[in-house]
Amino acid sequence: MDLFLQYLSQPYLVTGIVYTLLITVLGLGGGLVMGVVLAGMQLSRFGALALLSRTYAIIFRGTPLILQMIFCYNALPLIGIKLSAIEAASLALALNEAPFIAEIIRANVIGVDRGQVSAAQALGMTPNVIMGRVVAPQAIRSMVPALGNEAVSALKNSSLASVVSVQELTLRSTQLASATFDFFSIFFASGLMYLLLTGVVALIQIVVEMLLDLDRPKPAEQIARFFCALSPFRTRSVAALAAPTPTPDDQATAQDPLPPASPKVTMAAAGVDRAARASRLSGNTDAVEVRGLHKAYGPNVVLNGIDLTIKAGEVVVLLGPSGSGKSTLLRCINRLEGWEEGSIRVGGRSLGVNEEGKPLSPRAIAQMRASVGVGMVFQQFNLFGHLTARENVADPLRWVQGLSRFDADRRADALLERVGLAHRANALPRHLSGGQQQRVAIARAVAQNPSVLLLDEPTSALDPELVNEVLEVIRRLAVEDGLAMIISTHQLRFAADVADRIIFLSGGSIVEEGPADEILNRPRHPLTARFLSKMEGE
Amino acid sequence: MKKLNIEGSRALLRSWMGLCMMAQAVAATVTGAVLLSAEPAAAAAPAACAGLQTKYPALKGKTLVNAINPHTPGYEALDPKDPSKYIGFDIDLGEAIGDCLGFKLTYKSVTFAALLTTLQAGQADIVISDIYATKDRAKAADFITYLKVFDGVLVAKGNPKKITGIDTSLCGAVAAENTGYVEVPLIQALEAECKAAGKPAPEIQLYDNNANCIQAILSGRADTYINDVNTVDGAVKAYPDKLAKATAVMLPYSVGIAVPRGKVEFRDAVMAALTEIQKSGLQGELMKKWNLPDNQIEAPSLVLAD
Repeated sequence: MDLFLQYLSQPYLVTGIVYTLLITVLGLGGGLVMGVVLAGMQLSRFGALALLSRTYAIIFRGTPLILQMIFCYNALPLIGIKLSAIEAASLALALNEAPFIAEIIRANVIGVDRGQVSAAQALGMTPNVIMGRVVAPQAIRSMVPALGNEAVSALKNSSLASVVSVQELTLRSTQLASATFDFFSIFFASGLMYLLLTGVVALIQIVVEMLLDLDRPKPAEQIARFFCALSPFRTRSVAALAAPTPTPDDQATAQDPLPPASPKVTMAAAGVDRAARASRLSGNTDAVEVRGLHKAYGPNVVLNGIDLTIKAGEVVVLLGPSGSGKSTLLRCINRLEGWEEGSIRVGGRSLGVNEEGKPLSPRAIAQMRASVGVGMVFQQFNLFGHLTARENVADPLRWVQGLSRFDADRRADALLERVGLAHRANALPRHLSGGQQQRVAIARAVAQNPSVLLLDEPTSALDPELVNEVLEVIRRLAVEDGLAMIISTHQLRFAADVADRIIFLSGGSIVEEGPADEILNRPRHPLTARFLSKMEGE
Repeated sequence: MKKLNIEGSRALLRSWMGLCMMAQAVAATVTGAVLLSAEPAAAAAPAACAGLQTKYPALKGKTLVNAINPHTPGYEALDPKDPSKYIGFDIDLGEAIGDCLGFKLTYKSVTFAALLTTLQAGQADIVISDIYATKDRAKAADFITYLKVFDGVLVAKGNPKKITGIDTSLCGAVAAENTGYVEVPLIQALEAECKAAGKPAPEIQLYDNNANCIQAILSGRADTYINDVNTVDGAVKAYPDKLAKATAVMLPYSVGIAVPRGKVEFRDAVMAALTEIQKSGLQGELMKKWNLPDNQIEAPSLVLAD
């Protein structure tokens, strides 16, 4: 026991820790940098890069670290690169960690909900912004535990540097054991030192996880609180800091009614002169123009020659059974999907190809989407999970339109007020009900001032009692904003209420179209009639 | 063109190396000493050394790297009283050669099997680490001999397996050895003899250093460890209740200093210095200091590949 304590405090062993840490830090840091590059290569659009990254992973994940250490130390000098022992060991550790870290990064990037990526695209974000603002913040949060694991494993793997003569803890322990014959005391002491080091890594992991936890205050505030708690003036400071987040949480059951309807809406509810509105609309410019659109997934034809024109301010409802191509049509209009034949013009411009008809890069498409102004509301809401309701609306305005934080927040607050959610502005999506989430999503889409709003079954994922609050928001938008809308839905009463025109799709073709009242009450095509009677029966 | 490429890659590496050097500097300040230093040789350099320094001026003032496997107390191991130093006969001899030719030594600790590969890779300039100069090893390095080889047979106290040397008494026994030791092929060669006698072949467990081999006997995993007699004596001294030396055998080898192949001038210089050190009686003094028997001394000769 005396010997054990003596070795535990022996400077020779303790300074061995410095080398152990040095190699671990250099190895992990290098591995992280290379891992990011490798993951980027694998996720890129270019097959050759992915293949290169794959090959690297196969080689460096498939060979023992001890061989890589010896290779870096003894074989590289043969081609003129003579690294010191510490450099060679750190390089080998970095080369070895890189493919593991790359896989952690890739898995967590892929793990971010694809719907959020679609939503970000629809908001006109470029691929870089999507990666930096939407995917990375969420992926980093979920990869902390795996990276903590990797750090512990790198720390232990650093002991293999002893084979290339780095004076780290393991090498020093074995040398000392050879000289003194005190085998067990020495190895117990160095074992305990490793345990302390890995313990510190675990502690760091816990702190990082706490700082990144979305349900806690922001990291800066948490650190401030921590230091305030330590400071002698704590009573005042803690009270001051504890105040700023009044959380009106757990009011999920409480009502959040919409503000009183504007006169326009009240008038509309009383009944509109449909014929007058139709003639007024027909004089408007074309908002969306679809010509001969064909799209197929392999042998499966999804859209089979769609021709469609939507006037500015017109509200069009797409009806049709599941699989009739409604969602695909909407996703084609804002170029979330490509197509084989035909053309789509929004506001007179064709999305996805330049004036010579050449396809554009994802970045150029994103910029075009933002400037043409096609908003989209998704069935699954697709709010950004790491942002509050206000941030979901405001932040895209800053990233895409370049608004200042102040202006973006002001606009977001105004829109949240309009959809009746001003009091939930600081709530994360996961603390909102489905109906509330969809209202935030609508506010987010409208915030960009689009000329056309596409709504893809906006109420299909909602519990029945939440459907009406969302439909009411859409109804008011239609009346108040004079925004062109294309809505795919199964809600016939809502369609009758809000639609200027109904288009019935089946099997990828337009079967019948006309004024809402005509299609719903006097369908001419048997497929439409059958669909309507089935829907009404439900 | 080729040279240019290498220069280019070196330039690329510079930033990385700079980072490492900074980090090493930090580590060094904490350690207190950048490299493990050794105690100076006990006696002053022989007078003839001055002549050698004029003859081989290129070595003067240099710092060379000596690769060692410091798990052999008596030859090379940490100083238990001050683990920042290496001590032992080989260390003193190396320092004496350095003093004679005017160069200093730093040490690089590697596994036994990596001694010669480290030299070949240019990560070390010389190996003085109780390594036997065999024809096979001479394919990797040139050797200058300085000691005869006597092996001791280390066994558990009482020699329960009645082992009498590298002979049929090893049949069916388990021998602990280090990877790359010359004893390994000698023990393996017993297989035919054992079979002829109707006995099982000896089994060999391979380890990385002396301490592990000794532990193998202490824990009952191995029956014997055959190695340099002084190492065996040291182990018996450390564990007098548990270990014993069954016998000593002479092997047809010599202990040698390994230098890179083809560096003839350096080899000649080391050999000349060693000759002077032996002539002046300094090697004898050092052997006495480390309890090596006098009859182990051997006049320097070269062991080269055929």
